[in-house]
Amino acid sequence: MVKYALFLGCQIPMRLPSIEIASRRVFNILGLEAVDLLGYSCCPEPVVSRLLDETAALAVSARNLTLAEDLGLDMLTLCNGCYETLAEANEALKHDAERRSEVNTILRRYGREYAGKVDVKHIVEALYEDVGLNGIRKHVTKPLKIRAALHYGCHLYREYKTSDIMRKPNMMREIAMQTGVDMIDYGLERLCCGYPSMQANEEFSLKHRLLPKLSRMRSKGAEAIITICPACTIQFEIGQVMLRSYGFQFNMPCINLMELLALSFGVPHRDLHLELHRSPVQQLVQKVLGVS
Amino acid sequence: MAVSLEDDMVNCVREEVGENLVEAYKQRERRIFVRVKPEAFRDALHAIKKRYKMLRFITISAVDSGLDMEYLYHFHVEGAVLTFKVTKHKEDNTLESISDMFPAANLIEREISDLFGVKLLNHPQPEHGLVLTKDWPDDKRPLRKTFEGILPPQARPVAEALISSGCVAPISSFIQRKREDAGLPKSPAFTFTDEDAMREFHGIIRDVGLAEKAGFDWEKKRLRYK
Repeated sequence: MVKYALFLGCQIPMRLPSIEIASRRVFNILGLEAVDLLGYSCCPEPVVSRLLDETAALAVSARNLTLAEDLGLDMLTLCNGCYETLAEANEALKHDAERRSEVNTILRRYGREYAGKVDVKHIVEALYEDVGLNGIRKHVTKPLKIRAALHYGCHLYREYKTSDIMRKPNMMREIAMQTGVDMIDYGLERLCCGYPSMQANEEFSLKHRLLPKLSRMRSKGAEAIITICPACTIQFEIGQVMLRSYGFQFNMPCINLMELLALSFGVPHRDLHLELHRSPVQQLVQKVLGVS
Repeated sequence: MAVSLEDDMVNCVREEVGENLVEAYKQRERRIFVRVKPEAFRDALHAIKKRYKMLRFITISAVDSGLDMEYLYHFHVEGAVLTFKVTKHKEDNTLESISDMFPAANLIEREISDLFGVKLLNHPQPEHGLVLTKDWPDDKRPLRKTFEGILPPQARPVAEALISSGCVAPISSFIQRKREDAGLPKSPAFTFTDEDAMREFHGIIRDVGLAEKAGFDWEKKRLRYK
């Protein structure tokens, strides 16, 4: 059994626990063991914390990485933002002796030392590399006949192992296709959903990032959006509500890849608490699975 | 080996105020800066005044950084220039006068009071009206900045949540109930669920100076500005 130290991050357990619920069910079915990190903190959040103080952000990341080192396990993230922050910090600290020493000077006061012994993996890498497409497909008992558009999320393109920035997005696409969805190409996959720019300019974020994506997805006939990043999920769900005040009406369900997998593996939809979504995911599932 | 004048001044302040001496550095030959905590400033000044006969008050510079007022007291000491740096939170909008020790500070303190809107304590003429008219509105002081830190409004909740709890998305009781319904613990194993982990996290945040940079109030567990 492949074993990882699970880094849940902030948004998934606190705002979108249906993704955590689905992920744990999927891990059980696929034979991935995820050990919870005790006493972890925010990765930290990549926009504000790094702009505020890069050393502080690195030290907080390093502390989280030492929790995985204590367990002797590679770290697994479910969130694109956490992945980027932790993988980037891991790379910086592994290869920059001066920064490592600076951070370790702080950590040693608390009995910790970053040793650079673990890797950080995104969930799509673990699914693709450790389980494989065949391993996923064989558990699909309820193929989902949905015309769906994929949104990978900007941070999924961050690549530290190869020079191929499409490596993880392609993995995500192939994994999603195992569930039986009919994938819609809409040509704006690389465009940001607008989540980070919401902090600076709401109207820009909604009208120049989210709106073009939603419009193109709808015009191409997508019934749903598949995401992997919780921040993007929040933007697609809350953003659709906010766009109403600008005169744009969308009602597109936004489902996370882990929820999609869980449903296709036959996990009862009620167990997943999909009612926590702010977009009509439940209605989509009821329609597709023919349940009430 | 003879102790240099600069080192002697620092030693003199250190002996008097101990840990209230925050930092001291020599910018160049005969130019020295000493930062002390506000509560220790007068003691430090007394010690320097007592030690050096050739001591002359030059002036005070005041800088409003948004959240704090920094006062730089410049002195001529036996051919060198010594600057005391004292930073006060703007929540305490007062400036304690040193004009009892250095009468020459009287006018510049009044000027600072007028232009920045700070209230003078123990000053012989604490009222406004030296360089501005006496009826100048308190909330429109020409050199006073808005009470704000470096974070833009949209970034404040994130920074505040991160520093106070180690988590940027505070959990609601509704989500806690839903988690329990699903067989999950009420909250994930976050820093805030473990006292030791929280102490360690806050220690790191203090050590790297993040809280100070963001303008975080540890007692109130929130940013000093809205």
